[in-house]
Amino acid sequence: MQSNVKHAISHVAQLGRKGCDALESLGRAGVFLAQSAVGVPSREGWSLWLRQVHFVGVLSLAIVLVSGLFIGMVLALQGYTILVDFGAEQALGQMVALSLLRELAPVVAALLFAGRAGSALTAEIGLMKATEQLTSMEMIGVDPLRRVVAPRLWAGFISLPILTVGFSVVGIWGGYLVGVEWLGVFEGSYWSNMQASVSFVNDIGNGIIKSLVFAVVVTWIAVFQGYDLVPTSEGISRATTRTVVYSSLAVLGLDFVLTAVMFGGL
Amino acid sequence: MKRSKTMEFGVGLFMLAGILGLVFLGLRVSGMTLSAPSDTFRLEANFANIGSLKPRARVTMAGVTVGRVEAIELDTEWYDARVVLSLNSELAGQLSQDTTAAILTAGLLGEQYIGLSVGGAPEVLAEGDVIRDTQSALVLEELIQQFVSNMVTN
Amino acid sequence: MTDVPFIEIEDLYFSRGDHDIFRGINMTISRGQVTAIMGPSGTGKTTLLKLIGGQLTPDRGRVLIDGQDVHRLSRKALFALRKRMGMLFQSGALFSDLDVFENVAFPLRVHTDLPDQMIRDLVLLKLQAVGLRGARHLSPAELSGGMARRVALARAVALDPELILYDEPFVGQDPISMGVLVQLIKRLNQALSLTSVIVSHDIKETLSIADYLYLIADGQVVASGTPRTLDTNQDPRVSQFIHGEPDGPVPFHYPAETLYRDILGQTSAGKVG
Repeated sequence: MQSNVKHAISHVAQLGRKGCDALESLGRAGVFLAQSAVGVPSREGWSLWLRQVHFVGVLSLAIVLVSGLFIGMVLALQGYTILVDFGAEQALGQMVALSLLRELAPVVAALLFAGRAGSALTAEIGLMKATEQLTSMEMIGVDPLRRVVAPRLWAGFISLPILTVGFSVVGIWGGYLVGVEWLGVFEGSYWSNMQASVSFVNDIGNGIIKSLVFAVVVTWIAVFQGYDLVPTSEGISRATTRTVVYSSLAVLGLDFVLTAVMFGGL
Repeated sequence: MKRSKTMEFGVGLFMLAGILGLVFLGLRVSGMTLSAPSDTFRLEANFANIGSLKPRARVTMAGVTVGRVEAIELDTEWYDARVVLSLNSELAGQLSQDTTAAILTAGLLGEQYIGLSVGGAPEVLAEGDVIRDTQSALVLEELIQQFVSNMVTN
Repeated sequence: MTDVPFIEIEDLYFSRGDHDIFRGINMTISRGQVTAIMGPSGTGKTTLLKLIGGQLTPDRGRVLIDGQDVHRLSRKALFALRKRMGMLFQSGALFSDLDVFENVAFPLRVHTDLPDQMIRDLVLLKLQAVGLRGARHLSPAELSGGMARRVALARAVALDPELILYDEPFVGQDPISMGVLVQLIKRLNQALSLTSVIVSHDIKETLSIADYLYLIADGQVVASGTPRTLDTNQDPRVSQFIHGEPDGPVPFHYPAETLYRDILGQTSAGKVG
């Protein structure tokens, strides 16, 4: 009896300890973000940042655009079969554009970004840590938060919104290809229905705000996981996995909250 | 050095593509126009019921889009809806006084828009004038109700 | 001149979790000398270097470098102090996104406003000193371990520091590059009148260049002296290490139950699972 109670207490204690650990790591991540994002760009900051935009943004462009094209095409195909039942296939443009701009482009681009660029950021910073590059930078008297982390953070913040815009554009074009060129929706109604229902501020603007939030969260998680990992090969592979898992969950969860605030009338 | 030049070029292209994409979304997808607001010609129309007409809905004439709904507000004098239309400026001084405005529906469940048709009066509408002859939106429930009550009385 | 202490370590305590690494270390490192800190693997020699460099903070005690308490300095003052130190890491720790030339130029670019031409000349001089001027366009991935360490050495002396900390400079080197490194460390120390601290467990090489030695074990300094005095030291812990005897006060076996009980006795550990 007594041992059961002891057992239960030890379980509760363990739970509490895990909670404390999680909170502590969140706090560390917060301090980390504040220290690195606020850093004043140095003389070289600009070219370092440029290099990272190339790395996380330009190199992710292909996968994001191809995915956007296919998602736009699938949306048009699925939307058409549903809308045609109501004789409302001329609303196809509206459906494709709104689903892309409000939801799919920010979310899917962020998920792809986490997989393509986020994991690479984690692995790269983790490897720099494992090979003592970060420590040696510190010993040379250069703050790795500013030199290594800050350009990557800011590159992520800028790149994902651009990728999201690209995703939307290509997706809408893919919807046009399938809907208008293939299924024969009247071209004029594809565009005019879209134009009548899409608002620049409410739909495009909110979509971009979403993608900015996702950009901050995904890049933050990726860079922090890299910086905070255990510097062994196992630690790097674990941290890379954690980056993808945590950032995907964070993107989907935050998407619900943001959607509720932006479109749900909360 | 050469590698970093091509990289810079790539990043520049990337940013430019982002801006162009945004312009495309603005112009083509959300239908913003770059023309200055002074290029429009404004009319007002009062409707007893606008149904689900939204600001920025199309205004058409013979099926051709000639403008947009700029604002919708409740007229507290008559308790009906006052709709402000902004039309292409080339229509200024072309529409006769007895022009009619009707709220139409695209398809069965599509969005609602305003259709204008010109009459034969010699006087023309000037900036800010009110269209007198309007036809409210068809509300599906009312239609069904009428239909049912007709059935019953017959 | 040689007896002015440059680094003083006073009563240093440091622990990681429940594991005590240092329990009251005292050391004085003289200016212009090569001081070696030796000890068996796992005694925290690298940790000691990190404590000196201010990357770790001790639980108790203090480290003075040229009269400044490293762990009481502001971040800015600490970074300023680090400009006067160079550190050679075990792996070299070259920046993988820069080539050899840029790696050596890195400290110059971030800490000085020298024109490009002068930086170029300085870097080439430093690379010449380690014999790798011809390798300036290679990337770190193309270097062998010994070459990477030499480039790292050139980078560590790029700012003409007063102090260089070497973390296991001889580990994993073939005899030739080992000889090259020994020569380099000795020459640099004389040419630049540096103070050097070497952490190592390679006895022969270290004895050949050190002016003074500290031997640490069990978190404490067990012996210190010049190479000659240590060689004749009668303390069994010292002679086991200096002469490389496999068993002695430092046991060969990791603490365990007796072999007999482990194999024959079905202890509780055997039933798990």
